[in-house]
Amino acid sequence: MTVHDDRMALILSRLAPHDADGTGTLRLCELAAETTGVSGASIILLSDELAHGSLCTTDGVAAYLDDLQFTLGQGPAIDAHAGGRPVLEPELAAPAVARWPALATSALRAGVRALFAFPVRIGAVKLGALTLHRDSPGALNDLQHADALAIAVVATRAILAMQADAPPGSVSVELEEGANFHFVVHQAAGMVSIQLGIGVTEALVRLRGHAFLLDRTIDDVSRDVVDRRIRLEGPEPA
Amino acid sequence: MSREALLIRTLVELADNLVDDFDVIDVLTVLSDRCVEVLDVDSAGVMLAAPGGELQVVASSSDAMRGLELFELQANEGPCVDCFVSGEPIVNLELTAVDERWPRFARRAVADGFRSVHALPMRLRGTTVGALNMFRTSLGSLREDDVIVAQALADVATIAIIQHQSAVGAAVLNAQLSEALNSRIIIEQAKGMVSEASGLDMDRSFQRIRSHARNHNLRLTELARGIAEGSTSIVGLDPLPRSHPVRSTSPHLRPGDGSTPA
Repeated sequence: MTVHDDRMALILSRLAPHDADGTGTLRLCELAAETTGVSGASIILLSDELAHGSLCTTDGVAAYLDDLQFTLGQGPAIDAHAGGRPVLEPELAAPAVARWPALATSALRAGVRALFAFPVRIGAVKLGALTLHRDSPGALNDLQHADALAIAVVATRAILAMQADAPPGSVSVELEEGANFHFVVHQAAGMVSIQLGIGVTEALVRLRGHAFLLDRTIDDVSRDVVDRRIRLEGPEPA
Repeated sequence: MSREALLIRTLVELADNLVDDFDVIDVLTVLSDRCVEVLDVDSAGVMLAAPGGELQVVASSSDAMRGLELFELQANEGPCVDCFVSGEPIVNLELTAVDERWPRFARRAVADGFRSVHALPMRLRGTTVGALNMFRTSLGSLREDDVIVAQALADVATIAIIQHQSAVGAAVLNAQLSEALNSRIIIEQAKGMVSEASGLDMDRSFQRIRSHARNHNLRLTELARGIAEGSTSIVGLDPLPRSHPVRSTSPHLRPGDGSTPA
């Protein structure tokens, strides 16, 4: 508890200079990666229904991992959020339990060797997850683990503070502009549902499958659908 | 049960409440009951500040205690009130029928059979949320370690209450955020469907949905949900007037990216 509080004070003091210019929250991911000494980090916002947004990512690999988790609907952040506890995969190439086979294949190809996700939550209130990735295998040490937990707590406060000013029924402007909620994907799902005469939920599944088979992100595929460069028609793509 | 065992059980009971089925009244009733069991006092009670700041009697170990605490609040004088205002403990104060500090409270307390009083603040990091009152029917002082134990119990209860309050606030905000995001997503889905079915771009599709909602006095989210779920026909939506496009009134609408602020 004391260690936790000490590290929290340290993290807050490192974040503080950036809060004034409004970049504090976006710095959270960089701070998470720097403090824990991993290759990169991301914070994903999740709800139990549809919402899935990236609050921040440190690098292309972190953004790719977020896209993969959103495209596949599986991954450490989703598990950490659902289970309310850290999900640690120190050996992605040789996992003790093969949890996310599709995600692991793509992540390994992108050079990721270890993944760690920590729920962003307060009590029973679950907001999302902090994901750390590293280009070498191996577990986090105790201090790294404690730092990750502390940053997850700071992220919780930051997200709630951002939403606190929003009028009822809306997403705060800060979150709206700072996070990527993949709205284009939901527009594309609406279009695909008309193109194929299926429900929007199934259309989202089709978009995901299409993106995964073509090894593209679901945002890219959706942008093409919305701009009418591609149509998803007929049966599942071969 | 030994005093130590009882203390440990009390701490566990109070800490249990940190997780599920939290009930402020339960926590504070446990606190006041255990103070009487563990410490050398005859009655104990807790006052808590309501959101507006005024104190309320929340738990009492006896009816006599409850009556006296209510009287204290009505008279606006007494150890609990002073302790809450100052945030400082009041320990081993002898009560006599004639008292300059709290003339009305002291007379009533003595009439109720109480002889000495203690009040401990319930505070965490500068925030005082209430006060714990303990009364004895005989003269004589509380031992110093009894005061420490009482303050420790009050501190655990305080942490439980403050954590509960912040969790409730977080739950409200998070539910609001989830709801706002989910309605946004449904609107985006409906825009995509209208766009594909009618050949309009995303902005014009949104305008069509919104103007139909306005014309028919429907909530935008409800109309969008109807479209997304297939229960509202897209063909049946009012067409957009060609010459006078509906102007966006939202300051956040960025026409280029086709996204829709809720």
